Amino acid sequence: MRQFFSFLLFSLLSICVHPRAASASSDYHEQLVLRPLPLSALLASFNFRSNTTLSAFEAHNFRFFPRSLGQILQHAGTRELHLRFSLGRWDAESWGARPWDGAREGGTGVELWAWLDAETDEEADHKWLTLTNALSGLFCASLNFIDSTRTTRPVMSFQPEGDHPNSTETNTHLLYGVLPHEVVCTENLTPFLKLLPCKGKAGIATLLDGHKLFDASWQSMAIDIRPVCPADGECVLEIEQTIDMVLDIERSKRPRGNPIPRPPPGHELKCDTSKPYHADDTCFPADYSANQEWSLSQIFGRTIKGTCPLTDPNTPPVCLQVPESRSVFISNGSLEKKNADGASRCYEIEPEAEFEMILPAPSDAAQTENKAQAELQDLVKPETPLLYAERSFTGHGQERGGVQTILRNPSPDREVEFIYMESLPWFMRIYLHTIEARIEGQSGKQRDSLIQEVYYRPAVDRARGTQLEVRMRVPPASTVFLTYDFEKSILRYTEYPPDANRGFDVAAAVITILNSTDSVSSSSGRSVAYALRTTSLLCSLPTPDFSMPYNVIIFTSTAIALAFGGMFNILVRRFVAADEGPEVSLGGLKGRLMDKLGKLLALFKSKGGGIKKTE
Amino acid sequence: MSSRRPIDNGTINDTTPSKVDSAIGQNVGLATDDAPSGTSKRKLPPPEKPSDVRRRSLVIMSFWMVVLCLGLPIWWKTTTIYRANLPLSEMLEWADGKACRPVFPLRISIQADALQEQEAQNLLRLTQHALDDLNDFAGHHLRLQLSPPTSAADNSWNKDDDTALIIRLVPGESTTATLDPYSPVLDITYPPNTIPSATSSSSSLATYVASQLRSTFAEEQAIISYLLSNNSIPSDYRPQGLTPEAAESLSKRTTRSLKYAPTYHLTFSLFTSGPLPSSWDIEAAIDEYMKPVLDVLAPIHNFTIDTQIQLYATPGVQNQVLNKEDLSSFVNAAEWPLSPSIGGAPTINFIVFVGNQTIGATPQGGDKSDNDAAAVTTSPSWLIPQWGTVYLLSLPFDTTHVSAATLKQPLLTFTSHLLSLTGTPQSGSLPLRLSTLARIRSADLLLRASSTLGSLARLALALPSMSIPSSVADGVSKTMTHLRLACDTLGGAEGLAHARIAEAEAERAFFEKSMVGQLYFPDEHKLAVYLPLLGPVGVPLLMGLLNEIKAWRKRRREKAEQGAEKKKE
Repeated sequence: MRQFFSFLLFSLLSICVHPRAASASSDYHEQLVLRPLPLSALLASFNFRSNTTLSAFEAHNFRFFPRSLGQILQHAGTRELHLRFSLGRWDAESWGARPWDGAREGGTGVELWAWLDAETDEEADHKWLTLTNALSGLFCASLNFIDSTRTTRPVMSFQPEGDHPNSTETNTHLLYGVLPHEVVCTENLTPFLKLLPCKGKAGIATLLDGHKLFDASWQSMAIDIRPVCPADGECVLEIEQTIDMVLDIERSKRPRGNPIPRPPPGHELKCDTSKPYHADDTCFPADYSANQEWSLSQIFGRTIKGTCPLTDPNTPPVCLQVPESRSVFISNGSLEKKNADGASRCYEIEPEAEFEMILPAPSDAAQTENKAQAELQDLVKPETPLLYAERSFTGHGQERGGVQTILRNPSPDREVEFIYMESLPWFMRIYLHTIEARIEGQSGKQRDSLIQEVYYRPAVDRARGTQLEVRMRVPPASTVFLTYDFEKSILRYTEYPPDANRGFDVAAAVITILNSTDSVSSSSGRSVAYALRTTSLLCSLPTPDFSMPYNVIIFTSTAIALAFGGMFNILVRRFVAADEGPEVSLGGLKGRLMDKLGKLLALFKSKGGGIKKTE
Repeated sequence: MSSRRPIDNGTINDTTPSKVDSAIGQNVGLATDDAPSGTSKRKLPPPEKPSDVRRRSLVIMSFWMVVLCLGLPIWWKTTTIYRANLPLSEMLEWADGKACRPVFPLRISIQADALQEQEAQNLLRLTQHALDDLNDFAGHHLRLQLSPPTSAADNSWNKDDDTALIIRLVPGESTTATLDPYSPVLDITYPPNTIPSATSSSSSLATYVASQLRSTFAEEQAIISYLLSNNSIPSDYRPQGLTPEAAESLSKRTTRSLKYAPTYHLTFSLFTSGPLPSSWDIEAAIDEYMKPVLDVLAPIHNFTIDTQIQLYATPGVQNQVLNKEDLSSFVNAAEWPLSPSIGGAPTINFIVFVGNQTIGATPQGGDKSDNDAAAVTTSPSWLIPQWGTVYLLSLPFDTTHVSAATLKQPLLTFTSHLLSLTGTPQSGSLPLRLSTLARIRSADLLLRASSTLGSLARLALALPSMSIPSSVADGVSKTMTHLRLACDTLGGAEGLAHARIAEAEAERAFFEKSMVGQLYFPDEHKLAVYLPLLGPVGVPLLMGLLNEIKAWRKRRREKAEQGAEKKKE
């Protein structure tokens, strides 16, 4: 019955849609993929993609492609653009591999890289400045602070995603800028939604709400614009907008009017019953409530309001990745399609109706035996990432420091080759000779066998940041420590931000894992298999006391007062014996005042007397 | 040196201090007699050697020399703000309109092939007289000239010629005048008997031609005189014949038109309140209905065109029937992506809004386009001054595609609004209107550049602590040369080009970034820096100098007294 209705719906759609509109409607796709993760988290991946032909783009006719962005691209001569707004940390240990193989995420803060058309480096810099300033206005972000000190030109790490005709390759410049300190918030989401053809008014974008998005444990907003030339047909310019967010289910389910977390009353407390002391009056609270029931309106605060009418009807708007054994409730009129892999299912939504989905908690039968295992059964097992990476500062004091990156290859039999890129601020002066890679548990340096290629562009004070790209490999099932030392420089008084004691953010390191091929010689031609970013670091520099200039003035003045005053007085005063000089008494001034006062009184009296006399 | 009273017990009477003082300084033995017998008997110090006194004066003097000759110049040099020399008086002269008298000499050639040379000359002289009698505005000159007789078939007029209008005199039945719609030609027919004789001092034909010319250029004259009167052009130079109503309508029109820019971005946007329609044939429609006008405007402005479609657009006003107040808030600036374009050129927005809203009140656009007033009053569109136009288009709810034919009316409306947004005058044939526009724009630019110069001069005078970099001075001198050139060649294409450059340079000089950088440096900060430094140094220096001066004066007086005593003795 249901299938019959869907057939009817499809036939109706195909009849009423104008043939031209139908052909054009495949220019826009949108899809939401929901994947419950371990530890009661939920990954929601929104993907919006629209196309415009290059000829229409050059004629300034914009339909699905946003005009505001298109104009900026044309003005700045941009061929391909990638913009990232990210917040939080992806917990790879428990959540597994990143969505989109890490290709649609950035480090904390704002990241921007673009291929620009320019004849010379100066021209590229100029266009880059135009681009960052224009984007900063469009996205309400401080992108205009990406100056020359925060801009690098990566050599190995990034490769264009789009199809660029070979003839122009020599004239395209890749520039990369990052703002780790930028706080991503609602004001960045609003312009992001405005770029969508259906705004936030219809389709899956209706779920996007700043309160929920920026409350997530991890979120990443991405905009990717690239030219795509299919084998048959015209080249198109494709804009892909992606939002990935990991929501803590329990946190998201808090009622909106009462968001402050409070301890639950005793009878609602979830206890760990496996503890030996568990009884009616003693409770060891379970640290998370696995596999809770949740619904779209609970998690996102609203339901999906129909579909965007421009979308490709062949792409189901909502997909859910849970094992086939779990049951899911959906609102009437929607259609469920299970995929062949048995781990995901997709839903067709009625164009005008609201869509709600409820994922009930799995049956309790399995849960009593082994919680962790049971949870994994009810979820799609997260994929193991190719590499785990974490980065931290070592050392102590205000002068020197070190950076240590721990890179772990979980695969038992596959070697991982990757490019590790750091773009450091100029005030972290690294000592390149101290760069060292060693395998955990093995003594001695294996630098030469692990590090294959180093590209280093040293910093220039106040003009350019450090750029370090290292191509290295990690053998199977081993952990590699990559370390180097650096020196902290002292900034000028005006270069400190108002919150100088907080520290300075150091951008995330970008790790680009290359596809393993036999030809080691050419690294540029190899495609990217996976990308990940470490967390950003907080580097504390020696901060001066900011009242210093006034202190200096006062101190100098005191010294001058002592030295100059003394010297001057010695030179110009005459010295006489103690009994020869004028008597110095404390009452000098007082006496003089009293004298004056007395005179005044006398004057008054005499005057008063004069008046009396005349009477 | 310190001339304090030796004992301060209050017993001395008031007449003694000066004597006591002198006694100490002079240190003569008899002074001790005057000293009152207090609790302690004080000795007086031995007399100072004259060389010591001299040395002390030298020390103080050298300290002061160092301060005055070394310290002060260094302080002055390091704390002065660089102010480039600006020709302030000349700038103010430009702003007051004293430097340039905008004169638009319009050359009008008369083609009278049917007339004898002598007759034609005579007619020309009479017409010129009549024109000069009619004209009360010195800035706007109509100069007649006789064009060499051409063959009647050849009616081509030279484009690069500066001639503003050609009058073609053709013999005919009665006196009529028609303006050629495609070229700046005024065709006048006359009955042969109206040709003035060589001796007559007046002629009805000459008067007729003069009045026709005057009415043709009446609007241009009014606009230019309005522009001049709004700037500080000397009043004697101002025309008198501007009625308040005319001035008001002109001011309305000038506030409506955009500021001059060499390039305008035209943005055509289709906004729909729902998901449909999602495509339109805008390119074809622009090519058909708007391109001709854009091509004609090309010598004055460049245009870039972009189009966009925005679905699910909520207008700022949700009422079904829009009244006059709603129109101003209809454009939802917060949500509609109409952000100004990058690159400096202003954007003119043309919005087609597909929805079922209607306008209830008299449309705003109705009062200004006289030529197609009927079309405008019935059309659901309105013009937003200096911004663009909104057109409400109601379509059947399931339309998915807007055809070029549907867009005809909106685009024709947009075209007429574009002309009024660029400030084109409304009467006359199109070529005349455009050449008038060029003249109005050059006058406008000239006046604007002059007033910017004036503001810069007043700013430089008002803020003495503002630094003026040399680039500003360069900009000012460039502006002035171009202004001078523009003023000399007003009315022609060259004048417009010079006025453009002058205006751009003046704006750049005025908005120089480094001028406002350190404009505000509070006095408290200066006090906080100078006081602790100068206090401990300045006070001993100053006191030393004062004491020295006092001692020196006393020494002189004593010398004089001694001299007087000696004389007495």
